[in-house]
Amino acid sequence: MTIDGLVYGYVANEETYPDKAVIIEEGSKGDWVYVILKGSAKVRKRTRKGVVTLDTLSEGDIFGEMVLLETGQELRSASVVAADGPVRLGVLDSERLVKDYGTLSSQLRALMRSLIRRLKETTDSVCNAVVENAERVHSLKLDQVLPSEPDKT
Amino acid sequence: MFCILIALYIISKDRKEQQTMNTMNDKEKIPPVKFLHYKKGDLIVKQGDYGISIYKVIKGKVQIFNESGDKEIDINTLGPGGVIGEMNFLDRALEARFSSARALEDSELEAWHPAGLADEYEQMPYIIRHIANQTLKRLIRMNNLTAQLTDQVEEAKKAAQEEPAPARRNFYRKGVILDCVYRPVDSPSKARLEGLIKDISLSGMGLDIRTKNALKFSHKPGAKFHIETVLPNGKKIDFTAKIISVIDDRTPGKLFLGMVFDELADGARKSLGFFLMPT
Repeated sequence: MTIDGLVYGYVANEETYPDKAVIIEEGSKGDWVYVILKGSAKVRKRTRKGVVTLDTLSEGDIFGEMVLLETGQELRSASVVAADGPVRLGVLDSERLVKDYGTLSSQLRALMRSLIRRLKETTDSVCNAVVENAERVHSLKLDQVLPSEPDKT
Repeated sequence: MFCILIALYIISKDRKEQQTMNTMNDKEKIPPVKFLHYKKGDLIVKQGDYGISIYKVIKGKVQIFNESGDKEIDINTLGPGGVIGEMNFLDRALEARFSSARALEDSELEAWHPAGLADEYEQMPYIIRHIANQTLKRLIRMNNLTAQLTDQVEEAKKAAQEEPAPARRNFYRKGVILDCVYRPVDSPSKARLEGLIKDISLSGMGLDIRTKNALKFSHKPGAKFHIETVLPNGKKIDFTAKIISVIDDRTPGKLFLGMVFDELADGARKSLGFFLMPT
């Protein structure tokens, strides 16, 4: 995936993080929304047994949007860490993003909120399942990145 | 000139009316929002069914779950404001319902026809649509992962139930053959009888003796002996043990005594514990 020109139009600033640098810390406050311009980053979440690596983000992927679009959520739900070398990020214009979001009808906003909330809850379910899996089945290790395209059941 | 102005006015009026009529026609085609009531336990949406309506919970609680074989995987519970069917709306390729939904209590829902939102969705700011699509993809992946991981855990649980339970053993027991000397605790005799310790744990041991030893003193269950031995690591230990079973050994002229420790001093317990540590 490469950065989309229309998304790039929202980039207000650019930042570069060295390998393994924490871009977003789970549980911290913050409302910056980022897009990966170059490089990759890992999404990590704490569990009672350790940290689970949920996903690898690549160029064009947006992250940090949950806090901005989901009302009532103030804290970051997961950590994002630079992976496999430095990562160049675009910091999106939050004000413009919120303004755009505000133009949606209440129905579409409810739909978006529901989608984001559901992703958050399903991610929590996955973390619980990974911990249980690591304890019982041993087919997964906590620090291993979860498969990107699991077999559809 | 005046005629031209009148003509322009009429054309403009017609266009406005035509536009109004078109809007009305479009609106007429879109079914109005419906309010639906469900009793506790009613199925609202079934996974795999074809459906395009979007539901919003107004009152009550709705359980979202996936069906995998004959079991249900709980996804989440929606309260007022929660939306069902957004995935089908956002991903037109998902013709079948991705999950099932059931009323957990008497509930009231609002049903929207997606046509009412489709135009707005197409026209919404590009970046918001991009975020919606990205969130949808992540959600589909997480849903599939939950199902896959839950299946694996369920299979492991099932396999564990099918496996016969291992014989319970309270103490780790080590197979050994140790020379020992022993004498009855309640006898004033200074006799030193010989035996072979076979199997030893922190709770007791097996003692192989010659039958003729039993001629001199009682070797019945309940009899207590003071025993001295040297562990393979060179540690000398002594303790008191009580007979709990007497079995004729396979070798004629021998008896096998099952014994439990009666008195095992801290030093001896420590040496024995160290020796018993699995290597």
